[in-house]
Amino acid sequence: MKVISKSIFYGIITTSFLFSTSAVAKTQISWWNYSNEGSGLNAALTQYIQDGFNSSQDEIELQIIFKEGEYNETTRTALLAGVGPDLVSSSGATYVAKYVEGGFLKSLEGYAEKFGWSDKILPWAYNTGVFRDELYSLPKNYESMLYFYNKTLFEENGWSLPTNLAEYESLAAEIQEQGLYPFAYGSSGWPMTHEHLAGNYLNTVAGPDNVYKAMVGEKEWTDPEFVESLELLKKHMLAGYWSGSLENYYAVGWDDFSAQFQNREAAMLQIGSWGFEIATGLDDKSDDWGWAPLPILTEEGGEPNYQLSVGGTLSINAASKNPDAAAEVLNWILSNKDTIIELTKSRNFGEWLMPLYYEEADFAGDIEPKLRDYLVDFSERTGNGNYGYTTWTYYPPEAGTHIWKDMEVVWAGDISVEEFLGEQQKLWEKARKNNELLPIAAR
Amino acid sequence: MRISENKLRGAVSNHIILMVLALTIILPIMVLVFNSIKPDEEFGINPLGFPEKVRVMNYYDAFVIGNYAQVMMNSLLLVTGTLIMCLTFSSMAAFSLAVLNPNGKATILIGIYLLVGLSIPAQLFILPLFIIWKNLHLNNTVIGLILIYSALNAPFAVFLIRSYMVQLPRELFEAAIVEGASTFQLFTRVALPLSWPVFLTTGLVVSLAVWNEFLFAVTFIHNEEFKPISTILYSFQNRREENYALISAASIMMAAPLAILFILFQRNFIAGLTSGGTKG
Amino acid sequence: MEEWSRSAAPFIVLMKNLSNKEMTSWIFLAPVLFIHLLVVAIPSLSSLALCFTDWNGFGKINFVGFENFLELFDDRVFKKAVTHNLIWTGLFLTVPIALALLAAFLLTGVKRFQMFYRFVFFFPYILASIVNCLIWKYLFHPIHGLAAFFKDIGWESLATSPLTTKETSLYAVAFVDGWHFWGFLVVIYITAMYQVDESLYEAADIEGASKWQTFRYVTFPSIRPMFLFSFLIIIIWSVPAFDYVYILTSGGPAYSSEVVANFMYFEAFRNMNVGYASAVGALMFVYVFTILGFFWTLRKLGWEI
Repeated sequence: MKVISKSIFYGIITTSFLFSTSAVAKTQISWWNYSNEGSGLNAALTQYIQDGFNSSQDEIELQIIFKEGEYNETTRTALLAGVGPDLVSSSGATYVAKYVEGGFLKSLEGYAEKFGWSDKILPWAYNTGVFRDELYSLPKNYESMLYFYNKTLFEENGWSLPTNLAEYESLAAEIQEQGLYPFAYGSSGWPMTHEHLAGNYLNTVAGPDNVYKAMVGEKEWTDPEFVESLELLKKHMLAGYWSGSLENYYAVGWDDFSAQFQNREAAMLQIGSWGFEIATGLDDKSDDWGWAPLPILTEEGGEPNYQLSVGGTLSINAASKNPDAAAEVLNWILSNKDTIIELTKSRNFGEWLMPLYYEEADFAGDIEPKLRDYLVDFSERTGNGNYGYTTWTYYPPEAGTHIWKDMEVVWAGDISVEEFLGEQQKLWEKARKNNELLPIAAR
Repeated sequence: MRISENKLRGAVSNHIILMVLALTIILPIMVLVFNSIKPDEEFGINPLGFPEKVRVMNYYDAFVIGNYAQVMMNSLLLVTGTLIMCLTFSSMAAFSLAVLNPNGKATILIGIYLLVGLSIPAQLFILPLFIIWKNLHLNNTVIGLILIYSALNAPFAVFLIRSYMVQLPRELFEAAIVEGASTFQLFTRVALPLSWPVFLTTGLVVSLAVWNEFLFAVTFIHNEEFKPISTILYSFQNRREENYALISAASIMMAAPLAILFILFQRNFIAGLTSGGTKG
Repeated sequence: MEEWSRSAAPFIVLMKNLSNKEMTSWIFLAPVLFIHLLVVAIPSLSSLALCFTDWNGFGKINFVGFENFLELFDDRVFKKAVTHNLIWTGLFLTVPIALALLAAFLLTGVKRFQMFYRFVFFFPYILASIVNCLIWKYLFHPIHGLAAFFKDIGWESLATSPLTTKETSLYAVAFVDGWHFWGFLVVIYITAMYQVDESLYEAADIEGASKWQTFRYVTFPSIRPMFLFSFLIIIIWSVPAFDYVYILTSGGPAYSSEVVANFMYFEAFRNMNVGYASAVGALMFVYVFTILGFFWTLRKLGWEI
């Protein structure tokens, strides 16, 4: 007991000391971020952002606070009560839209003009933060869907990357004949992976043009091309493309599908660009890996596209007492490309890959060349207008939830794809009526 | 002779059934313990067994990453505070319902009220509560969280203590009244000492609930320094990582203080019962 | 003065009687009531008031009458969740109670290892829900745990995935929750069983009563208040059942393990249909009051509860 009380005593002494020294002169800025101790996120953010910013100047003291569990709920509860941190991070435009509607965020328009933020951020990503013609959030991370494959395994078996539906299905069949899974993937711990697959099939079967038309109301989700997309997904899911069976797919989590891909249990991995983290795990093994954009799954195939996605945002709380100081923090982040590259590198490019104007020189040194190829290819293709839409960046909240949550009901055979898409359509109409659609730039 | 033989045979069959029941608990927990000292690479080849290469460092890693020294102290503070407040208030209420006014309208009304209270899911009231707490400046304070925990655990505590106090012999109270005891003395000198086994049970249940509670802790505490232990385990489990070894070690460290408490407590529990003369 | 005191005398006597009984009893109740009203009742009521609105947690509050309820009765997921809650309650009222009565009764009959058994039975209850879920998620995993073990020894057919198979998911979740919960009942029952008058057992022994007869005619009647209490508490606790469902399956796959509290949570916090979720809360209240009315009737009929 003595030891314990002693440590409390020192704890109190040190904390009060820390507070008394720091609180006097500096402006305090707080920032809530979701917590991920296991992967070292907390330490990385503290080192690169908090300490980096604090040592760069003497006026503002930034403190990053890590919240466990359902981060977005904790934040929403606090915002509703008029408290919460100065800097609000969220999981994407869906959340920002709600916060803007509630009046909880400060418009960043003035700061963006003052600091010239629109010259620093890629335009499509910048636009995902614009609501009612004003900027409310900065994109923290950009992502896209692609797939990785075991190059060595492909060479050994004489397989080649599919370019259309027939090739895709015959490749999957061949892989399954070898007793392997075509794709490593699973939804345990993150059931939102269903929407990755749904988005992939909508964008590669029906195609981005049709998806765009449905989003802006020129088509209906119940139209045949969308039905066809999801019927195909259902067929492939039930055929065990992902981890062998529907039950396995539900039970398999990040570590499991990483291991499946790295240990030759699966030939490919259909995932977001954050999957580079898994693919680079192969570097320790004798197998080599490659990546490719998703093939177009129609008879004739076609030019692949990248789905646009912003997987995290940063905003300023409307209730913040020091919005100017908070904006300084944001501007420091946008102005320190090197730090951000270091940070995202420490996260294996799965997080904090901010959509800034990167040049090849930014990635000099020890960056994985395949990753650099992807970043270049991404900007070339999307620059040519070859881009699609991820559900979590462009779908209104309820439709976005429905597309992954009720997809299970379709796979279970409880409702048909037509019924499912009918519900989708209704949710889009409801959102349109309530003016809850997210910003979608004209195509 | 006949009786004792019967008893012996009875005891053996008792032990067999109890052992089978116990194994359904021991075996899964043993898997957790094995996992906590298993090196990561062994999970694929050895799912249930004892690890070939023991790695105790899992505990050290979890302890350091989770900052266990501090979060355990925070939780201990929460448990102690809640025990004091919740048991004091609940035993007063139970005394009122069981002894002072066992057949009054209030007993029934309060009984119904508290039962309904048990059935309310946290999701229904956490949002308005947050707003109230903000206005009372109880947000992000330990006392604010202790108040919440006391209230949440009170209905069950009241029921448990009341159902014990109801069985106390009325004559004891009547004798004390004859000796001139006040109502308050009836509570402190008769009801409380006689009911203490139920306090151990209730106290344990409340301690567990507080030690393991997560939702309110993460909603109402924002300072790193105040974080309780339950929040840390969530920090190990997330989308990108399911390190079974580390999480298992962290879980065992979380459960260990309670397990020790329970072992210590159980001895007193039995002693209390036997000295009370209720068991021969 | 004198006149006044004379006329007021009966009133003062009344007050004294009141203060002796009713008033003191209320004073003793006040602290618990105060904190519980503040933390649970007032926030819950203010939340329930939203059940006639379409509030989304942020914007304007519009009154929509009974629309939420009409929509709920038409909601396939909600209907599924209600059915599952009833199954859940039924499961918990039978399996854990039976096991706990058996274990507690057998425990009173043994001297050696008693502490050990008690400790073991209660142990899962000590563990946080997230820890218990971790254990069983691992054991029920189609690749790790039991499945891997069964594959190793060649029993492929047992290498299943109970939590992610829609036919079994609800039962698998209930199993894990029950596995953690039943030891709690053992402690409750054994506390009560030790209060049973020992002479009754001796009498039963002399009469040559079998174990079942001893249980049926001595033990059970004596612990009936505790038993009924546990019965009621299980019914009540099954209403907001949430943790295990949320952590193990989140109600899936395809809502096959969805329960009402998880449904409500999802509507309020993910879909941000706060008004709709409040309507679910209101229906939960109606259900709880119905159950309590039932027990009330029993009490009226002379049962000690």
